[in-house]
Amino acid sequence: MADLVWASMGEMARLVATKAISPVELVRVHLDRIAALDGKLRAFITVMGDSALEAARAAEASVVRREPIGALHGVPVGFKDLYCTKGVRTTGGSRILADWVPGEDATVVTRLAAAGAIALGKLNMHEFAYGPEGINVHYGTSWNPWDPAVHRFCGGSSSGSGAAVAAGLCPGALGSDTGGSIRIPSSLCGLTGIKPTYGRVSRAGALPLAWSLDHVGPMCRSAADCALMLRAIAGQDPRDASTSALPVPDYAAALTGHVRGLRVGLLRRSFLESAGAPERHAVEQAVRTLEGEGASVREITLDQMKYAAGAAAAVISVEAYAYHEPWLKTRGGEYGGDVRERLLPGAFVSGADYLRGQRVRGLIREEMDRVLADVDVLIAPTLPVAAPRVDARDVDIDGRPQPLRSSLIRFTRPFNVSGHPAASVPCGFTAEGLPIGMQVIGRSFDEATVLRVADAYQRVTDWHTRRPPLGR
Amino acid sequence: MADPGPPLTRDTLRIVAHAQGLALSDADLDAVLPLVQAARVLLDELASAPLQDVEPTSLYLMR
Repeated sequence: MADLVWASMGEMARLVATKAISPVELVRVHLDRIAALDGKLRAFITVMGDSALEAARAAEASVVRREPIGALHGVPVGFKDLYCTKGVRTTGGSRILADWVPGEDATVVTRLAAAGAIALGKLNMHEFAYGPEGINVHYGTSWNPWDPAVHRFCGGSSSGSGAAVAAGLCPGALGSDTGGSIRIPSSLCGLTGIKPTYGRVSRAGALPLAWSLDHVGPMCRSAADCALMLRAIAGQDPRDASTSALPVPDYAAALTGHVRGLRVGLLRRSFLESAGAPERHAVEQAVRTLEGEGASVREITLDQMKYAAGAAAAVISVEAYAYHEPWLKTRGGEYGGDVRERLLPGAFVSGADYLRGQRVRGLIREEMDRVLADVDVLIAPTLPVAAPRVDARDVDIDGRPQPLRSSLIRFTRPFNVSGHPAASVPCGFTAEGLPIGMQVIGRSFDEATVLRVADAYQRVTDWHTRRPPLGR
Repeated sequence: MADPGPPLTRDTLRIVAHAQGLALSDADLDAVLPLVQAARVLLDELASAPLQDVEPTSLYLMR
């Protein structure tokens, strides 16, 4: 039974569909694991035990009656606690919304339920998604399962999603990503996560951090499982005007298992060259693996990326402040200190600065599109470092201390600014046994190729199959 | 090089905050000041971006 929690989502769905296991059994084994491990991990804010078992019994009945079932029928999933769940509190990781119970589901919650997935609970996060570490002063900071002895960051803001999937508390989860919040915890927790193209997945019913930078996406233990989850949630939504009408491909069918003939661009300047030695070595080795599998590799430089930090600062500060202004004026003392301090600077950024940031985004996107006309994907490290200790304020990169927060988002934020799809894929471990991730970045709305490269890499490597010591 | 103007201080932030109906204590202003100064450096870097004919990305999609 213990091995069941490490099965892929696809395998779980197959076992349920063939009646080899009951969805009730599958949910119970995960609930037992949450009860055993989450006291330390603090991955969940709310466990939906009763409703999950009720849904599992209904799912079992559907299989017995041989009704048509979805691709994730009976498979448990977790939701970052910023996705609205009808009748279940949605805190945003905050004290301000500690007792807020939405009257309707987020679109992605509805779509995963339609695919047969069973909601196991609501996952911890950096308060209101405003932080790359995963700190939470209200519900506790999630514990990275790769180091049982030292409390290390899971990464944020989708910290609980990272801890839960890595430790086998659920096989897949939804995160959200405004500056790297799917890819950072995926990298630090040894997971595969994808931030799709802006407009590919509906944001309706997700608490915003910055409307024009927020992306919704899955965090799983393999690219193949990300393909299943993304297929279930992607597509146009009348509730979100920014969603695209482009058809959603069958991502699982796009996983050909090879990269022969694909053109890979390696981002060395400003990316690989700025990472620590273990991360540089792991990503360079991964690129050689892709080359060995038949991809052609060349180095790419993105000149306009020097503006990405400024554009992101202009946009995120103003949009986040605008959303939070009423609470900052009336309930400011209820925010965690770090989040309040990050929100307030938005009050001092002008409208002209904001629009200059939005114009620069166009410039960056244009360069990305131009570069991606000549290569199929770009490769970069996800992070310059592995999981820092929770008391760290700086990180050490090749002997040089660097500020923690800006270091964590340096390589991920540019692709929120541009809106292009980007996945993080495990590609190695440090000497301390901490996971390292690489990013695979693709053309707009070409998540299929991003996942194809990630999956092909995972068919010839085993980094993604390793399990953390906490909960092994 | 454009004139950077007077340096940001706790008092200038207080005036701007007050104008927006935001009551911030001295401790708040002291905590926020270095963050605003750091953001200002990043925002000023955008002034050199070649933005001729580039429109903002925040445009409505009409259906």
